[in-house]
This record gives sequence, C-alpha cells and structure tokens, in this order.
Amino acid sequence: MNTTSTQALAIARPIIQGLTALNILYGVGIALLLSTSFFMQGWPEGPLGFDLVKMHPLAPLGLRVIVVIGIIGAVIVHLILQRLLAIVDTVRDGDPFILENAQRLNVIAWGVLVLEVLRLFVIAIAAAVWESGRLGGFSFAPWLAVLMLFVLSGVFAHGARMRADLIGTV
Amino acid sequence: MAIAVRLDELLHARRMTLTELAARVDITLANLSILKTGKAKAIRFSTLEAICAALECQPGDLLAFDPVLPAEE
Repeated sequence: MNTTSTQALAIARPIIQGLTALNILYGVGIALLLSTSFFMQGWPEGPLGFDLVKMHPLAPLGLRVIVVIGIIGAVIVHLILQRLLAIVDTVRDGDPFILENAQRLNVIAWGVLVLEVLRLFVIAIAAAVWESGRLGGFSFAPWLAVLMLFVLSGVFAHGARMRADLIGTV
Repeated sequence: MAIAVRLDELLHARRMTLTELAARVDITLANLSILKTGKAKAIRFSTLEAICAALECQPGDLLAFDPVLPAEE
C-alpha cells in the first residue's frame, strides 16, 4: 500500500463519521422544514419573499416533492456511509477481502444508482414547474461511477471467493 | 468431506512424528496438523509431492475416498 492510500485510510474514518453527522443534520433539517411548511401561514410566498404560485400553479407541490426526495436521498446517503465505514473498519482490522465487503460495495452501487435516479426526478420536476422545457444538469460521470462500483463489487466478490478457497489449502 | 487423509497411519507405520515430518518436508506443523485432522479444504501438488517423498509412499496411500464420510457443504 502506498503512502497516499495509507494516509487516505487514516483520515477516512473521521471524515465518514463527520459526513454521517452532517447528513443526519441535513435530513432532520429538511424534514423539519417540510413539516413546518404544512402549518406555516402564507407558505411558500412568506418565507421565500415572492409568490411561487405565479411562476407555476404546481410549484409549491413541486418544492415539497423535491424536499421529500431530499429526505429519501439523506436516508440512502446514510446507508452508503455506514457501509463505507464498515469497509474502512475491515481494512483497519487487517482483513478487507471478505464477501461481506463485496455485498457492502454492491449496496453502495445500488445506493448511488438510486441517488442518480432521484437527481433526474428533481431535474424533471424543476424543468416542469420552474424552468419549463429546460432539462439541464445531466452528466455521464455519476453513471460511470455506478458502473464502476458494480464492476468493483463483482471483482471483490470473486476475489473474496478465491481467497476463501485458499484458506484451508495446505 | 468424503476424502480421508491417512497421514496418521502412515506416520505410525514409519515411527515418525508430525514434527519430524514437518522438518523434512518444510511445511509448518500447523498446516500438517490441519491436514492430519482432516480440516484441510485442499492440498497442493507440491505438498503432496513433499509428503510422498518423505514418507516413501504414493498419493493413494495418503488419500482415500470414503463415501461414508459426510460430503462438504
């Protein structure tokens, strides 16, 4: 393992824990904002300072749907971070090439895939209620990352099975 | 596993201990113990060759198929 990888692993745990705390704060924050919006007089024009309904009659609903997607996204990010932390812990314990890590990587790949699909939903909603017809923000890079994660989890699973075969070989 | 390892019998017939065999074949005592107790999942040809050379036997003398033994999960 080179120096960069060792340093990255050393700081990975506190970074993941920090990101987990920030993500929980984000999820709880937007969940509170969503629940408050149902009881607040003059929502959304009051807090925003302008009448969103004038832009599009479904804009307030679109805003709420995006917030719900944001909460779902926070839950998925939490699941991803927990699995990433578990993978980092197995490296620290000295035995990362196990089938459990391949399964964790597979869950992470599915998580990133769902996050990307949710992002497309947000783009579609924004295009429908705010900027009609403007469907921007698509990028190939996240999809490439999803593909790479699925390939890596497959490679990891195969490697872990090969290693399991070697254990008990004399 | 339905494969039986007869290392114990071979060592007994040659009045040899597992420690002596380990020294002769350059295989750790722990690994030979795993083999002797039938806990090994696989055996390398190089290990088989070294044991057969040290004990002057054939692979068939060391390993046997016993259908009575439970198959591997």
